Amino acid sequence: MTDHVDVLPEASRHPFIDQLQKAFRNNKLTGVGAVIFVLIILVAIAAPLLAPHDPLQQHIIARLKGPSAEYWFGTDAYGRDILSRLLYGARVSLVISLTAIGLAMVIGSIIGIIAGYFGGMIDLALMQVMDVLLAFPALILGLIVVAMLGPSMENLIIAIALTAIPPFARTARAPTIAVKERDYIEACRALGFGHPRIIVRHIFPNVLSEVLVMGSLWLATAIRVEASLSFIGLGVKPPTASWGGMIREGFENILDNVWLSVCPSMAILLVVFSLNLLGDGLRDAIDPKTRSDS
Amino acid sequence: MIHPGNPRVEPVLDVSNLTTSFRIGGEWHAAVRGISFALQPNETLALVGESGCGKSMTALSILGLVPKTNGRVEADHIRYEGKDLSRLPDEEMRKIRGNGISMIFQEPMTSLNPVLPVGFQVMEALRYHQKMSRGDGEKRALELLELVKIPSAKSRFKEYPHQFSGGMRQRVMIAMALACRPKVILADEPTTALDVTIQAQILSLLNELKAETDMSMIFITHNLGVVAALADRVAVMYAGDIVEIASVNDLFARPTHPYTEALLRSVPRSDRDTKTLYSIPGAVPPLTRMPEGCRFAARCELAIDICRRQNPPLETLPAGGAHSVRCWVRGDHDLTAMKEHADV
Amino acid sequence: MSEPLLSVKNLKKFFQVRKGFPNPKTVTVRALDGISFEVQRGQAFALVGESGCGKSTAGRTILRLLEPDEGTIEFDGQDIGKADAKQMRALRKRAQIIFQDPFSSLNPRMRVGTALAEPLLVHGLMGKKEADERVRDLLEEVGLPRDAGVRFPHEFSGGQRQRLGIARALTLNPELIIADEPVSALDVSIQSQILTLLRDLQQRLNLSFIFISHDLGVVRYFCQVMAVMYLGKIIEKGPVPKIFDEPLHPYTVMLRDASPVPDPTARKAFERIEGEVPSAVNPPSGCHFHPRCPHVMDVCRKVYPDFIAVDAERSVACHLYADGRGGLPVAETAAAIG
Repeated sequence: MTDHVDVLPEASRHPFIDQLQKAFRNNKLTGVGAVIFVLIILVAIAAPLLAPHDPLQQHIIARLKGPSAEYWFGTDAYGRDILSRLLYGARVSLVISLTAIGLAMVIGSIIGIIAGYFGGMIDLALMQVMDVLLAFPALILGLIVVAMLGPSMENLIIAIALTAIPPFARTARAPTIAVKERDYIEACRALGFGHPRIIVRHIFPNVLSEVLVMGSLWLATAIRVEASLSFIGLGVKPPTASWGGMIREGFENILDNVWLSVCPSMAILLVVFSLNLLGDGLRDAIDPKTRSDS
Repeated sequence: MIHPGNPRVEPVLDVSNLTTSFRIGGEWHAAVRGISFALQPNETLALVGESGCGKSMTALSILGLVPKTNGRVEADHIRYEGKDLSRLPDEEMRKIRGNGISMIFQEPMTSLNPVLPVGFQVMEALRYHQKMSRGDGEKRALELLELVKIPSAKSRFKEYPHQFSGGMRQRVMIAMALACRPKVILADEPTTALDVTIQAQILSLLNELKAETDMSMIFITHNLGVVAALADRVAVMYAGDIVEIASVNDLFARPTHPYTEALLRSVPRSDRDTKTLYSIPGAVPPLTRMPEGCRFAARCELAIDICRRQNPPLETLPAGGAHSVRCWVRGDHDLTAMKEHADV
Repeated sequence: MSEPLLSVKNLKKFFQVRKGFPNPKTVTVRALDGISFEVQRGQAFALVGESGCGKSTAGRTILRLLEPDEGTIEFDGQDIGKADAKQMRALRKRAQIIFQDPFSSLNPRMRVGTALAEPLLVHGLMGKKEADERVRDLLEEVGLPRDAGVRFPHEFSGGQRQRLGIARALTLNPELIIADEPVSALDVSIQSQILTLLRDLQQRLNLSFIFISHDLGVVRYFCQVMAVMYLGKIIEKGPVPKIFDEPLHPYTVMLRDASPVPDPTARKAFERIEGEVPSAVNPPSGCHFHPRCPHVMDVCRKVYPDFIAVDAERSVACHLYADGRGGLPVAETAAAIG
């Protein structure tokens, strides 16, 4: 009378782990992206150990030098070691973009889930605000915020987070609406669970993977926006090294030493590239068309 | 009346030893394994079975619609009008699909293109296969819509699928399938998504069309009641095998394979009181973990030793007629001889 | 007859739908248009009908998963419609629901044991340890291994998921279960397993059921009393054997005759089965069934028939049974099946 003959013998893993595994197994580039990104983070953390020079130390006699044994990537107009500035600049770029995207992910998801779950006027009002924010290109919105609040690390974080909240709200809202219609949410209501419990325990875990994928893709955008704002002088104040700032400084002396701009550009390219590889792989893995669970 | 097994009548479709396999996790698994049957002119053959038994795959294999990337179709032959469909190049196959052999699907909502008028969609096959002019095509398409009894067909010719109900959309699908006067129609669960009163109407329409034309039909379904309502002959499938094949009256009167019998006893009936319902224990084994021997053995009350080792052949019963069964216990086998043979 | 467990009176539920392009209009769909029935303790009551007849809406409105627009729902003498949040929480323990689709009824991101224990913990009925033990008992009760709780839903087959859905409905020891097409999505052999399980549970736990189904065979096997619905209204109600042997309403006759029977000797031409269910947005005047009815009279086109008691147990909404009329021709009710 029972049909337990076919209960699977293997140990049970969380479907989330399955998805992650699938992302790395099906597409080798996902792993490449992840490894590069993790290496960059490690390098940024270990910057004080790895940097051959003080990034702020000026060497007047060695200005605008090309690569050499002493200065691997050369020096800038103040004679500062580019490699060291790159390593320290990674910290600034990563801290700003990670914090901003983290903030945007949390706030955006909360807004999206609430809008999707309750629907009606709440949905309309929240998403209307999101649409207004979304109407500004990321760079312009960042520009307005930083121009209003003044350039500083915190304001840069706020500016980038603000531009990234609407996409996260949208990303979280769509699966929320789909999941809300599922029978198990109705079962939760029939069992007498309150809204907060349903949202946190039953909706959120089903939205999480989509939000995380979005996060990895937007992290790349955040790094680009941070660099762009720094490039036009709205980033962290000099002499602190940041990649965008370094490109601008290099730009002023591009005829004397190409390396000044090329090095930070390549660093940005590498991070964005690795994050896109990672994000694309993850996105394919959670694509409903290829998902094994419903 | 049809004469299954009558050698003088040339079958319209003759499938011999058809095997369809899929690659799952790097290994090939047979979803349909070595099935053979012949479809007689003007016959309705029902393929019955539960999900995963291979009944839909059989239809897709005949039409060459199994995805080539991870699917593989092998057969001794699939003979239709002197051609072997299993060896036909794509180009030739396209001329047969929708022309000589056409298909009706389960979901009338997704099988019609939502942005084209239904009349146009019915006409398309005529224009493509029979190179009809626009005027002739329209005339014939309208005839077809009237044939499938779409009320005020003329005024609805230019309407879009979303303006049709589920039942009406299925009628349009049938009109499209009939457009080129095919010899064979493959109907894959065409009434499963419909309400019972609509299902009854579609079934009686198919019965009428069959009486009026000389088409043959392979009707794929899981519903034994529907089988009883329209089939001439029935093939019961389980886990990729045909386990029993017989005329519809023989099958329901003398279900012989333990699976067929159990299936019939598991259906709650609307025409009589059922005190206790029979339950087949367990579930169909997944494709990747098919057991040795008879695939039904693990769920079978009659299973004996040999069932678990060796898959029985499909053998005709001695009682006369063309009733064949794939079973060591119920089939016509001399088990003692088998046993000695196995021991050698 | 003893006090019924559930008593529904004149229940109505309307939906507002915006339709049309480019000038959308708000139209009202009368999904439930005043239905009344009672369910006795330990009884399986069937709501039968084709898609769009309102049977699923009825199930959800009774549990107040949808808010009723009109009418009363009394559960064990208590008015569910007027219950406040706290009373509702208590009532939720006593009435549960089982769904049709085994693939959407379980949270894919939650181990089934956690999901089954959750209601026990939320209602503060027992501690973690005790709840785990209860979950193991429940799994065994629905025919699954006691240690299946560590798994995720995708590791189970359709039939097993349906068992899990039943286990969840049983966690709080309910008295009434609303089963919304619980076996329609399942294969024949699995369907009979689930039906057998449900009947076994009904008898052992003295459960009442509202069994929503379009499959007359399943209803005949599982239920004692049935109501047939058409476009938001109940058109016939009575004991299951009587309705099958001698249906009164022409629509019930049509439904019965359209239901395929696994018996080729009883093959029918399905002659009298015509037309389709009209749109609930704009139902026909008078009796909603009149455009498809083989016995239509003038009065049917104008007046919706009263729901009249034909005898102590049976009622029907059809002008054929109004005073002075004899009902359906005898040949038809005693029709040819079986």
